[in-house]
Amino acid sequence: MRILTLACSLAALIVASPLSAQTLNVASAGDQNMVDYVKDYLAPMFEKSHPGVKVVSVGTGPGDAGSQKIYEKLDAQKSAGAADFDVVVIHQKGAGLMVKEGLLAKYTGNVETSKLVSSATATNSLGADVGGFVIPMFQSQTALAYNADMLKAPPATYTELKDWAKKNPKQFGYNGIKGGMSGVSFVAGWVYAFGGDANKLIQGPYDAAEKTKWDAAFAELKDFNKSVVITPGNAGTLDMLNRGEIAIGPVWVDMFYSWQADGKLPPNMKLKLTAPGMPGQPMYYAVPEKSAQKKLAEEFIALATSPQVQADGIVKKFNWYPGIDAKHLEGKLDKAAWDKLFTDITPAELSQNGKPFPIAPYFNDILEGYEKKVAN
Amino acid sequence: MSLSQRQLALLLIAPGFALVAALFLYPLCFSLVSAFTGPEGGFSLQAFAKAWELYSGDVVFTVVIVVASCLLTALLAIVIAGTLTLGENRYIVGTLRALYRWPLFIPFIVAAQCMRTFLAKNGLMNNSFVAMGLMEPLQAVSFLDWRGIIATFVWKQMPFVALLLAGALAALDRATLEAGRNLGASRLRVLVELALPQVMPQLLVALVLSFVTMLSVLSVPMMVAGSQPTMLTVDMAFRINAYGDYATANALGVITYLISAGAAIIYLKRGMAKEGTP
Repeated sequence: MRILTLACSLAALIVASPLSAQTLNVASAGDQNMVDYVKDYLAPMFEKSHPGVKVVSVGTGPGDAGSQKIYEKLDAQKSAGAADFDVVVIHQKGAGLMVKEGLLAKYTGNVETSKLVSSATATNSLGADVGGFVIPMFQSQTALAYNADMLKAPPATYTELKDWAKKNPKQFGYNGIKGGMSGVSFVAGWVYAFGGDANKLIQGPYDAAEKTKWDAAFAELKDFNKSVVITPGNAGTLDMLNRGEIAIGPVWVDMFYSWQADGKLPPNMKLKLTAPGMPGQPMYYAVPEKSAQKKLAEEFIALATSPQVQADGIVKKFNWYPGIDAKHLEGKLDKAAWDKLFTDITPAELSQNGKPFPIAPYFNDILEGYEKKVAN
Repeated sequence: MSLSQRQLALLLIAPGFALVAALFLYPLCFSLVSAFTGPEGGFSLQAFAKAWELYSGDVVFTVVIVVASCLLTALLAIVIAGTLTLGENRYIVGTLRALYRWPLFIPFIVAAQCMRTFLAKNGLMNNSFVAMGLMEPLQAVSFLDWRGIIATFVWKQMPFVALLLAGALAALDRATLEAGRNLGASRLRVLVELALPQVMPQLLVALVLSFVTMLSVLSVPMMVAGSQPTMLTVDMAFRINAYGDYATANALGVITYLISAGAAIIYLKRGMAKEGTP
C-alpha cells in the first residue's frame, strides 16, 4: 500500500512538473518569418538563460489584420483574470488602439534597453501617444533602389528626382498606390516633400483643411507619372530593376537585401534614401496589461532588444533595421554585415530621412487625394 | 405517412436551395444593402457617387478589356475548333489537339506569374525575338499593361471556348459540310457559312461564361499590369484593404453585377428565342 502511494505521488509529480514550469506566450502579428524569428532564434536563447521556462510562439497573420486579431483577443479577455499572451508583437495602428483601450502595460521603464531607443516611433504611433508602452522590435524602411551602372549619381532629393525623371523618361518606376506599400510610401514621401509641413502630417493633430494644400503636389505628381513606369507591385518594381527595364524605383530595404542575397538582384544595385525622407514602419514589442508573467515578459523583451540580439538576429539574419539606435550596434556586428546594411544609407541619413507614415486620417486623405487627382 | 410527389420534389431540392441561399443569395443581398447604405445608416447613393467619381475610368477600362478579350478568344477558338474539325493535315490536327487544352489546367494566378516574365520589356518573348534577330533590343517594349491583361485572359480562356466549340462542331451532321465541300466551297467558307451558324448558341454560351469569369479575376490585373487604370476587382480589394470601406467596394460590386447581367440577358434572350421557335 505504501509503495502504491509512493508510486502514485511520484507519478503525479512527474506529470505535474512540466505544468509547474513557466510558460511565456508570445503572439506575433506579421509574416511567418517573424513567428520563426521568435520560435527558432529568440526562444531557445531565452530558455537557455531561464531554465524551466518554455516560450510558446504563435502567429496571428500578416498586416494590420494580424494586430487586429491580437486586439480582439485581448479585448475579449479584458474582464477575465489573465490574458493568453504575455508578449505581443504588433503594428503601429494596432498599438495606438490597444494603448487607447488600456490593454497594454506601461513597462518600458523596467527594461534597461528602452534607453537605447532613439526613434520617434517609440513614443508616437501614427498620432497615438504610445510612450512607455512599446519598444520597437525593428524598423523597416523604404528607399530608392537604383542600378549603379546606369546611374552614377542618384537623385538626392525629391526635386532632383522630379527633374531627372523628366530628362530620362520611363527610367523611374513605382507601383502606384494599389500595388503595395512601397508605392504608397513613395507617394507619402512626395507629399512630405511638396505638400507643406511634413511634421504636421506625422505628428498631428488632424485638420481636414490640410489636404487642400496638396493640390499643387498632386498636379506635379500627375505630370511626373507621365514620364515614369507604373510597375505591377512591390515585387514588380524589383523585377523590373533586375531586368534593367528601369534604373531606379522605391523598394522595401529588407526585401531588397533578401532578394540580393538570393541572387534575384544584381550586385550593382544600391540604395538611396532621398531627402526630405521616405516612410518606414516599426513593429513593436508590448506587454498586455493582464499578462500573468509581466516580469518574465520584460526580461524577454530586454533580451530581444539587447544590442547583441538586435545585431545578430534583426540586422544580420533578417535584414531589418534595428529597433534601438543603430549606433549601439557598432562593434557588435562583423564588418561585412554592418557594411551591407549601412553602406548605402548611413545611420545618420537613416535617422534624418527615415520618416514615419502620416497619422491615420492624413494617410487616408493622401491615398484618396491620389485616387482623385493623380490616377483619375 | 407518405409524402406526395410534390412534397418529395420539394424535399429533394431543399439542400440545393439552402446552399444557394446561404452561399449566394444571402451575401448578394448583404452586399446590395451595404452598397445602398450611407455612413450614418439609411438609404444613400453616396457609395455610388464615390465609385463613379473615382472609378468611372476603371469601369470603362474593365468593359473594354473583357469585351476585347472575348472577341479575340472567340476568333482564336473558331480557328482552333475549325482546324480540328475540318483540318485535313493529320499532323497539324494531332499536334493541335494535344496542345490546345493545356492552359485549361493552369490557374489564373500561375498564368499571370508566367506572363509577368514572358511579356516584360526584357522578358522571355522580347529576348527571344532579339536573339533570333527579328528585333533590335532598343525596339523592345513592355506589354505589362492592358495588352498583357488581354493576352493572359485570351490565353487562359481560349481552350475552354475551343473545347465547347469543337464538341459542338463534331456533333454536326457531316453530310451538310461534305455537301458544301463537294459543291466546291473552300474549307473556310464551309466553316463560316455552314458550320458556324449551326453552333452559334454553344459559342455564345461559352463566351458568356468566359466574360463573367474574366470580370471576376483579381490576380491577373494585379500581377500583370500597373494600377492606373486598372480593373474593378483591384479597386474593390483596395477600397477594403486601404480604407476598410465596404460600402464603396460593394457599390463597385453592384456595378460589376450590372455588367455581367448585360451578358446574362444576351444569353437568356438567345435561349428564349430558341425555345419560342418550333
